[in-house]
Amino acid sequence: MTIRLRDLAACFEGVIPSIIATAAPDGTPNISYLSHVVLVDDERVALSNQFFSKTATNVRANPAAAVLIVDPRDGGQYRLDVTFEQTLDSGGLFEEMAIQLRATSTQVGMGAVMRLRGVDIYRVRAVQAVLAPQPGQEVSSRDVGSQLMAAATVARSVSEAADVGSIVDAVLDGLHQAFSFSHAMLLLKDPAGERLVTVGSRGYDRSGIGSEVLVGEGVIGTAAAERRPVRVSDMSRVRRFSSAVHASSDEENRTRTIALPGMPDAMSQVALPMVAHGALRGVLFVESSERLAFTKGDEAALAVVAMQAAAALALAEAEIGEGPSSGSIAVDQPVMTGRSFRVVHYAYDDSIFIDNEYLIKGVPGRLLMHLLRIHQREGRTEFTNREIRLSEELRLPDIKDNLETRLLLLRRRLEEKAAPVQLARTGRGRIRLELAGLALLEEAAGRTEG
Amino acid sequence: MLIPQELAAFMASPVMIILGTRDDALVPEIARAVGAVVHREEGSVDLMVSEWQWPQTMANIRANGQLAVTFARPSDYVSYQVKGHATIVPTTAEHTDLARRYMESMASTLGELGLEQRIVAPWLVDRDLVALRLSVQEIFVQTPGAKAGQLIERQS
Repeated sequence: MTIRLRDLAACFEGVIPSIIATAAPDGTPNISYLSHVVLVDDERVALSNQFFSKTATNVRANPAAAVLIVDPRDGGQYRLDVTFEQTLDSGGLFEEMAIQLRATSTQVGMGAVMRLRGVDIYRVRAVQAVLAPQPGQEVSSRDVGSQLMAAATVARSVSEAADVGSIVDAVLDGLHQAFSFSHAMLLLKDPAGERLVTVGSRGYDRSGIGSEVLVGEGVIGTAAAERRPVRVSDMSRVRRFSSAVHASSDEENRTRTIALPGMPDAMSQVALPMVAHGALRGVLFVESSERLAFTKGDEAALAVVAMQAAAALALAEAEIGEGPSSGSIAVDQPVMTGRSFRVVHYAYDDSIFIDNEYLIKGVPGRLLMHLLRIHQREGRTEFTNREIRLSEELRLPDIKDNLETRLLLLRRRLEEKAAPVQLARTGRGRIRLELAGLALLEEAAGRTEG
Repeated sequence: MLIPQELAAFMASPVMIILGTRDDALVPEIARAVGAVVHREEGSVDLMVSEWQWPQTMANIRANGQLAVTFARPSDYVSYQVKGHATIVPTTAEHTDLARRYMESMASTLGELGLEQRIVAPWLVDRDLVALRLSVQEIFVQTPGAKAGQLIERQS
């Protein structure tokens, strides 16, 4: 039986090192391990050219080489008869390998060492299974049809969702139900462009809503910076830069930073850029404690979901005007039945503390303060997005584009902290403040101590 | 050439051993060895290879003897490559014993790195064991990084 390269996709996940043998024109052989072998198509593979300079020299004089790849699921070995064709130092394939290398090497602190010089393309003339005493399982490619169906299921529920919050929920619930991926996060880009903010997650102890990742940092930040999917199949040797951060509310109060959720024992991760109208909107991130949890096919299906979610979110943000209010119509509910609570606003970073607990900072913090002030002045609890957009007091040139997202972030964070003030969405473009008691507003000038 | 003490100890420790040869048309071939016996003073290394699993490598050694061997520690990728001329020598009881011990210690070393026995089994095969004696002429550092490929010693 002829073995097709595409049936050996698992061998190219970078879990078990591959091997290459070459020979110099004088007949001296050379044997070396390889860091990256990439499946290009059924006839070609690509090797990263970083360290194995003797290999690179040899194939330029004698293009015949042998490559040994290993299936990480059963240890099965396959020998490829290859011929060196050319070196690429630019283009899609080169970029893809360079990104993959950067994403993994920045985390092991080898960013500078692991620079990709070029990608060597080899034509594969024959594929042969190496004999083994107990032959492994029959090589089978994973069912691409099921991934396509799962993507369609998620796409359907995303397309039914009408507001930012429902879209985020449709994506994350869909990943769990249709793909059985239980640990996922959705992050949206801050309009300033330097950071991504978590607006929803599934599977973690804490939701991490409001936590931030810098563009360019780690797997998530690299996917955002490069606008390409980044996939890691074996993190066992990749140091987790965030694992040392202890997530506690004491820590949040002290640093005014919410810790990014994460699996301490993650082995596989995939991050998909969310792009719409040519602009990066965010990143969809999925992880697993299993090696090789995500195949190239999963990556493709998730990429489609991420793009569709980006388009739906862009559309939801662009919608102007209000729908009818649901529930108790426009009657300002009587409030102040419970005890009063203290809301402190720090102007220098717009951070908000409610009864000494850190809530949020930045634009969502300013928004909450704005709504509470109006409420104090006018006793009103119902607001429309339009009046917020037009507000003189907020003076936010960029708020128009991301108001829905900011409100969602604020609403979810208030929910998670079980704060005495909550934000409810009462219809398209309409929100309501729900207060459990009297809010005592306070402006603080400086920074808090320790 | 005298093999440095440190390198000799490294080659005999639980490290992965991969072999490169070529046929008369300069087509390269890959194989794995299951253990090495270092004769420091003679400057030679005996390598145990399954002829059943790697027949082309054996054919290449019989035809021209040109051999390159890389020893790589799986925990940190520290690697050395030695090159020279190899011949097939009679397999002794010492060779067979050593191969058995090597396969056990290698399986346990890889096990500590999270690789199950059933995964590593296809790489550790001693069926139709043959001993190759490599007369070392060149030694290179092969550890990934700036020094990769650097020559340490060459027989003058």
